[in-house]
Amino acid sequence: MQTVRINNLTKTFNKTTAIDNLSLDIEKGKITGLIGADGAGKTTLIRLIIGLLLPDKGDIDILGLNPFTQKPELVSKIGYMPQKFGLYEDLTVIENLRLYADLKSQPYDFEKMLEFTSLTPFQDRLAGALSGGMKQKLGLACTLLGTPEFLLLDEPSVGVDPISRRDLMKMVRDMISPETTVLWSTAYLDEAHSFDTAVVLDKGKCIYNGKPHDLASTPQEFEEKVIELMGGYKNEPSKIAQNYTPIDYELECSVVADNLEKKYGNFYAVKNNSFCIKRGEIFGLLGPNGAGKSTSFKMMCGLAKPTSGTARIMGIDILENPAKARSNLGYMAQKFSLYGQLTVRQNLEFFAAAYGIGLLDRKKRVDEIIEVFDFQTVQDQKSEDLPLGFKQRLSLACALIHNPPILFLDEPTSGVDVIARREFWNHITSLAKKGVTILVTTHFMDEAEFCDRISLFYKGEAIAVGSPEELKQQAHTSTMEDAFITLIKESGK
Amino acid sequence: MKILTALIKKEFLQIIRDPSSIIIAFVLPLLSILIYMYGVNLDSVKVTLGIKNDDANSEISTLVKSFGHSKYVNSIVFDNEKDLTEAITRSKIKGAVIIPNDFSTKLSRAQAGDLLIITDGSEVNTANYVQSYSTAIANGWLNTSKFQRFTPTPVVNSELRVWYNQDLNSHYFILPGSISVTMTLIGILLTALVVAREWERGTMEALLSTRVRKIDIVLGKYIPYFTLGMVSMMFNVFLCVGIFKVPFRGNYLVLFTVSALFLFTLLGVGLTISSKLKNQFLASQVSLGIGFLPALLLSGLMFPINSMPKFFQILTGILPPRYFITFIESEFMAGTVWRLVFVNAVFLTVLGLILFALVYKSTDMRLKG
Repeated sequence: MQTVRINNLTKTFNKTTAIDNLSLDIEKGKITGLIGADGAGKTTLIRLIIGLLLPDKGDIDILGLNPFTQKPELVSKIGYMPQKFGLYEDLTVIENLRLYADLKSQPYDFEKMLEFTSLTPFQDRLAGALSGGMKQKLGLACTLLGTPEFLLLDEPSVGVDPISRRDLMKMVRDMISPETTVLWSTAYLDEAHSFDTAVVLDKGKCIYNGKPHDLASTPQEFEEKVIELMGGYKNEPSKIAQNYTPIDYELECSVVADNLEKKYGNFYAVKNNSFCIKRGEIFGLLGPNGAGKSTSFKMMCGLAKPTSGTARIMGIDILENPAKARSNLGYMAQKFSLYGQLTVRQNLEFFAAAYGIGLLDRKKRVDEIIEVFDFQTVQDQKSEDLPLGFKQRLSLACALIHNPPILFLDEPTSGVDVIARREFWNHITSLAKKGVTILVTTHFMDEAEFCDRISLFYKGEAIAVGSPEELKQQAHTSTMEDAFITLIKESGK
Repeated sequence: MKILTALIKKEFLQIIRDPSSIIIAFVLPLLSILIYMYGVNLDSVKVTLGIKNDDANSEISTLVKSFGHSKYVNSIVFDNEKDLTEAITRSKIKGAVIIPNDFSTKLSRAQAGDLLIITDGSEVNTANYVQSYSTAIANGWLNTSKFQRFTPTPVVNSELRVWYNQDLNSHYFILPGSISVTMTLIGILLTALVVAREWERGTMEALLSTRVRKIDIVLGKYIPYFTLGMVSMMFNVFLCVGIFKVPFRGNYLVLFTVSALFLFTLLGVGLTISSKLKNQFLASQVSLGIGFLPALLLSGLMFPINSMPKFFQILTGILPPRYFITFIESEFMAGTVWRLVFVNAVFLTVLGLILFALVYKSTDMRLKG
């Protein structure tokens, strides 16, 4: 039995071909992972399957129905969770559930669902005030209402921590029946490796459709194989790092957190946080959503005022002299925070000016950066039109424009595909070797392995500090992900 | 039906949680009525005049006195021309009346006496007042002075009666008119945001993947904002009639029925903008441009339509506020005029239905691409 039958499907937007003569079958009762680089056509394919987009050419047959002509019948059999979860942020948890129950003509029977998502204590909280992991669970709960025959999840695990990711997987596996078909688009290849089937898309074509275990037996090998299928990744020396001019200084620690504390009323968002990052070290801040990583980050670069304690950047107190301290660091924010309406070149020029590069040097520096980052072909494009991987590279370019000795990266690779992530980390590790001090947060545990030292954050406090190896030993586990989960669970007891 | 109820319930929850809709529906009317009540005044105001009397005749000094007694004028007496000129330049006085030295002589000879009235043309409105007040005071004086016998008996004796607004109090038509401005804001600006918001936040994509029908989405927006608008309308009327004592001579049922039709057309404008643009920022700009500003400037509230250029007069024909303002001003001040009610109601209904069809047509059930 097939849930999805697609024959010679084509879909174009203006001039770009999103889906290119694609033929694909998805078997009923299986969990299928949908993998591919940014812009490979994953979201477009999902939207075509449920009839949210109309195809240019080709046939789609979903559960024996045509999404073009029989959308009303089709949608009552499917559950779809879009990338932004589709939650009403100004409605409470229970109000969101009631709304979707009404839309799907289901009874108000949420007890099991709330229990399962551990949202019972938060049912009267506004969805907008939930942490990323909880939003995702609520989104999934709304999608699962009415026990759909076919579940479609579009990158549900972007930006959530490993524990929430595991919970989500468990939730899906426990809530569905053996007849339910699941199509799960993901950037996590370890996730995809655990599914029944993997479909790899590349430039709108299906380049692999089969059992993940047929491709490789371990998640690591699977990742290598998928990268190979997508055209491979050449580990070239980083031009960005080569172009970096090291700065000489005498300090032992370039970044110091000195008893940082942030209190909201009686609640400690960050408590007693101290660390010292040496020159050229990659220091990772890890922890579940809402543990206080972002708050720490904001205090470190002077964007939030600590209740007590302080931070020193290159020996300069961030509270006493924020402008001077900040001039030593490059900052890359979680969301794309450049000016979308400006071109690549204009963004670089703006940030060069903002970081105080004089008018005479500015053009030279911008030209240099454009050359080093390979922006020649896109320099006059509006930055909002760039693919995600380019946007992320542009953010890094803007952070590095003034050749800073320190880089702060807040979830820099969230939502970026595996090849772009590899390239990115190649630059970061090479920069560190040239003496750049790096503070980074991430939810990808394979990225955590690149860190020299990690501070594991939970409920506002650092519960473990050490190298990835030390943390794994401390938790008696073999992978960083298991170490993360074990250490958090132990400290919760 | 259940789906529609759920959508309406959801929309109401969002309205209650969103401070901006409450501000637009209840705080803004209060503010605008206060401003129109105490800030804006289109009525005649007391003007300060300078008087210079060059006529030594004692009878003429009573003319100077009657300027002093007038309730429309503050008069300051000047002795020399230099001071007078300077007072005008410094805007201490808004105009001046100069009585020449042969004024009484000419009058006693039954000739026309010349009065020089100087006005400040940089403030046209005030200049008109200065002219008409001075002439009226001088004529009034003439009728009671001893020179009266030289003036011919007027052939036409005009009597003035002001209908509908005996006190010529401009608040009585501006306050009801301001209701239309508030209604335009709720009907166009607020609703222009709501569909665009669903597209921006990705909730529309989730809605479209359920069994929601097009008519559910459309009515799910019309009904809640219609209700909000009508509640705000009642609040406005209460403020005008209950608090600020604007006389209401019409029929409340007629008032609210036509208001409902007006709101219906406005919602059509707002929702069309929102469904077409799918972007909150753009939608708010466009709704200010094509909704709010015409309602303020081209509806006849501020400037009479028949004194506009022909092109704009025709243009006002497609603006809902134009029909509503004519209606609400007459409903408040003159009472129900059935012919007027009927004409405006028909126009509003036709416009409203056309817009409803447009909203229905521009509501996308699929993503664009």
